Amino acid sequence: MKSQHFLNILLGIYIFIFLTYLFGPLLIMSVTAFNSAEFPSITPWECFSWRWFQEGKIAYDGQHLAGLSTDWRLHDGLIKSLIIGLGVVCLSVPIGMAASIVLTQVHSRLRTIFYSVSIMPVLFPGVIIGISTVVLWDRIATIGGEGFLSDIGRNGIFLTILGQTCFISTYCFLIFVARLQRFDQTQEEAALDLGASQTQVFFKILIPYLMPAIASAAVIAFLASFENYNTTVFSILSDQTLTTVIASKVRLGISPAISALALVIIALTLMAAIIYEILRRREDKKKKERQDQLIYEQTKDSRLKKEKTGSFKIPKFIFVIILLIIMGTFGFNQLIKNDLYGNKCVSAAESAKKSNFAEQLKLLQQNADTVDEKSLEGGNLGGNQDYGDIFGDENLFKDFGGFE
Amino acid sequence: MSVLFKQDAFLIVFKFKFVKIIISGGIIMSADVELQNISVTFGSFYAAKNVNVKIKQGEFFSFLGPSGCGKTTLLRAISGFLDPSEGKVLIGGEDMAGIGPNKRPTSLIFQNLALFPLMSVADNIAFSLEVRGKSKNERRKRADELLELIALSGQGDKKVHELSGGQRQRVAIARALAIEPEVLLLDEPLSALDLKLRQKMRTELRAIQKRVGITFIYITHDQGEALTMSDRVAVMNEGELEQVGLCDDVYDYPNTPFVATFVGENNPFYAKVVSVDNNEVKVESQGNTFLATAGKINENQNHSFSPGDEVIMFIRPESIFIKNDNNKLDNFFSAKVNTIEFEGNLKNIYVKINSNIDVRFSVPNAVDTSELSSNKDVELTFSSKKAVVLPKGQLAVD
Amino acid sequence: MNSFFKKNGPLISTYFIIAIVFWLIFLIIIPQLYMLDLSFRPNLPPLLRGGPDDVHTLVHYKHFIFGSETSNDPYNYVDIGVFLNTIFTAIMVTIINLCFCYPIAFYMAKVAKPNSARLLIVALIIPFWINELLRSFALRILFAGEGVINNILLATGLIDTGINFIALDIALYTGLTYAYILLMIFPLYNAIESLDTNQLEAAKDLGSSTFRTHWRIVIPHAKAGIASGCTMVFMLTAGALATPVVLSSPNTYWFTQLIYQWFNMNDNWSRGSAYSILLLSVSVVFVLLMMRIFKVKIGEIVR
Repeated sequence: MKSQHFLNILLGIYIFIFLTYLFGPLLIMSVTAFNSAEFPSITPWECFSWRWFQEGKIAYDGQHLAGLSTDWRLHDGLIKSLIIGLGVVCLSVPIGMAASIVLTQVHSRLRTIFYSVSIMPVLFPGVIIGISTVVLWDRIATIGGEGFLSDIGRNGIFLTILGQTCFISTYCFLIFVARLQRFDQTQEEAALDLGASQTQVFFKILIPYLMPAIASAAVIAFLASFENYNTTVFSILSDQTLTTVIASKVRLGISPAISALALVIIALTLMAAIIYEILRRREDKKKKERQDQLIYEQTKDSRLKKEKTGSFKIPKFIFVIILLIIMGTFGFNQLIKNDLYGNKCVSAAESAKKSNFAEQLKLLQQNADTVDEKSLEGGNLGGNQDYGDIFGDENLFKDFGGFE
Repeated sequence: MSVLFKQDAFLIVFKFKFVKIIISGGIIMSADVELQNISVTFGSFYAAKNVNVKIKQGEFFSFLGPSGCGKTTLLRAISGFLDPSEGKVLIGGEDMAGIGPNKRPTSLIFQNLALFPLMSVADNIAFSLEVRGKSKNERRKRADELLELIALSGQGDKKVHELSGGQRQRVAIARALAIEPEVLLLDEPLSALDLKLRQKMRTELRAIQKRVGITFIYITHDQGEALTMSDRVAVMNEGELEQVGLCDDVYDYPNTPFVATFVGENNPFYAKVVSVDNNEVKVESQGNTFLATAGKINENQNHSFSPGDEVIMFIRPESIFIKNDNNKLDNFFSAKVNTIEFEGNLKNIYVKINSNIDVRFSVPNAVDTSELSSNKDVELTFSSKKAVVLPKGQLAVD
Repeated sequence: MNSFFKKNGPLISTYFIIAIVFWLIFLIIIPQLYMLDLSFRPNLPPLLRGGPDDVHTLVHYKHFIFGSETSNDPYNYVDIGVFLNTIFTAIMVTIINLCFCYPIAFYMAKVAKPNSARLLIVALIIPFWINELLRSFALRILFAGEGVINNILLATGLIDTGINFIALDIALYTGLTYAYILLMIFPLYNAIESLDTNQLEAAKDLGSSTFRTHWRIVIPHAKAGIASGCTMVFMLTAGALATPVVLSSPNTYWFTQLIYQWFNMNDNWSRGSAYSILLLSVSVVFVLLMMRIFKVKIGEIVR
């Protein structure tokens, strides 16, 4: 018994580590969104600021680091992502549904083949789906000459919708297959027998039954499309979606604006999850009450009679919210007290950095003067070494749009 | 076309007072069903083979047989879910070939009822009107009338899963009746219910059939169900009809060894014909000689035997009595008591003849059996009128 | 076919057929076949396509093995190295993921109360609704030269100089492991959940040790889930692009990055196709291998 107890503690620790691994990085990233420093970090904490959600900043070296609300490329990408997501939902949900229904109607060998082909796209690497879509449509566009075919064959949004639909349809297909497994096919026969036409059976029996699956397939399809990178990066051609914009930003240099974006997405996700959970619990409760009532009606067993309790219960999560608000207010007060919030702090930090930068520039100038012309032409600036010392990582410095 | 016309006329009358009409049994359209030489094959497997039967209009007709005997296949052929490989289905004299299940004047009650779980009870019942484009008011009205008929008034807004098993059963019947079918097909609808409820529903189903007066075709493997409710039954085995007839005929005069053993209990005696006198056959089985009656081939004709034929003689457990001064019939044999089984209203007594043939007979619980104990010899007697001789054939395995 | 139309009615049948043909033929089969064909053709400017030079050739596959004609090496050490490294790393990531996720999946399926298990599932899903790029970005913040981990280690005095996690590829491996954890946990969870808890109690009752119970009862029962999880994680890891883009060091390439280079930077589509076919073959071999090892059907792998 004791060893069991010990094992449980071990398991608890393990789960804690696991959750830390899952959420730690996201949490830290979220916090860095509020640090006014150019580099997303916590430990050299400059000031608490909202700048990365708003206008961003012009760095001391003249580099413009856009914030969320001012970055037109993000906005543009977001709109295209939404368009593509909608397109993918409109295509892949009907496709997945049709395929899953037909799967219930074919048998033996044909069924195996059909099923295998249908799930293949999930096993294909995303990049391959993107590439194959692009090469095929480029060919179609070439053969089609000028005109419509050539226009759509080289349209990144169109190709991305097709490429994503290829494998997202499989996700939808699997969702529908799971739901249809529990479908009682005699219902269709009953409806037919009662005089419904095949089309009526489809719309009055099958579609209502599949409605939850349609909803979840649409959500999953949209999310999968929205966050897809591997396929999109090939098929989008010269356009940009939100993910490819993020990718190019991350590759060029890491800016806290991306942290801010991530925080927004995390917040939206959390909200959706919480709403979903609340709705589900409410539904469960209702169902349970109904069942209890039914059992009581059938048995008339007074032990099962449940009196409705009149007292109002405060939901637990309210305490959590209150605690969060108290902690937030306290922390914010501390920030203000220590001059870590507001324009004053930011401008102080800016001027400090600027003077630092000016000094370094002067140093660089001196160094440059001492280095003879030849080595300058070689491109190996002695000053680079110093910058390396100053900013720790020369790659990162470049990422900030330093000397290139 | 005449079918449709009749239905329309019915609809107009129905609008006014549906319930009354059903109960009074006034203008009811009911059709006869004829299966002509129906065969259904799946690959090389015969699910039904050369089935010929005519079901009269307004009749309660049952197909009875063990599972896998092809009775559900026949039902599906009648309702239109399955095209027979050969033969014709005639309903009301019309050939149904090429007419889908939604166009036939039949309604099917499924084994699992197949109620629509996402719809309310009223919507379930009025579904057939909904797909015919009837107005909401009309649907509501009809649903209320039918709910009254099945004694569920005011429960139309409930969901199906809020009903009890028996209530669901009745909703399924109401739903099937809402389109005023001429033939109602029932596919073992009682099999999911517990014993008490099943017995209650038997009576109820029979009463509903009497009230609405339409043809009921009932499928079951439970001979008790078939015999209590039906006017006539058809016994099926391995896709073929074994016997069609009135319930008591099938029970008393089985045409084949299968029917003899499948419907009710029976004791088979493998025997050899000694002599034949008209329909009275003298047989010899393991040293015992019995007088028995030749079984029937069909309603009018008996099997004919000649001495030396290998036959089976059947005698039902309730036709065997303990021999005493009051009970002396024309056949006797002695046996050794094996076990006595108590079954409530009856006691089943298992005996052995020559220590190798098992015979079972039953006596009412009131009969004193205290003298019978294991390994005791007992003298038994039965009437030659109740013993049926049939040619050798397949028995129902239990 | 006739019965298909009869069963579904003309309208719905037409919808079914259009949807399925469009998907299976135009989105799945033809693009792959065309790409396969392209991989055997020389890289030609658009004008010369279909011309006399447009013949089938193995030049791209030869390039993968022997390198370009101008190089002196007998084999294309760079590309082959990247290829093998990608596969090896993907396998390692898969194994690590399996070991890492098994206890969690078991906990969720058999130990935790239903409500807390549900909460845990929701908690697991949340990170995976967030873009893979952003998740990798979060790790990059942690592992950067002046990142959180380095700062903590420096502050506590465990190390004297910052560790370059990115150059050492530690960041990349952590990121890849992090990226597809969910796809390992859920198949495992589903498989273990379907195990009758009585079996566990019976095993315990018969005196089996915890380890033995898992080895003899839980794992054999969950083998379809294990096969499924391993396949998905391997496929996604080997085919990953987002995580390597963010986390790989400048001198480490992931195979997909090579494909990307041939395709987008060097504009050599047919070579990109050939390399894609290589990656695809690895995937297919891996799936077949998993089906063979675990004796499961393809339908059990993808659910």
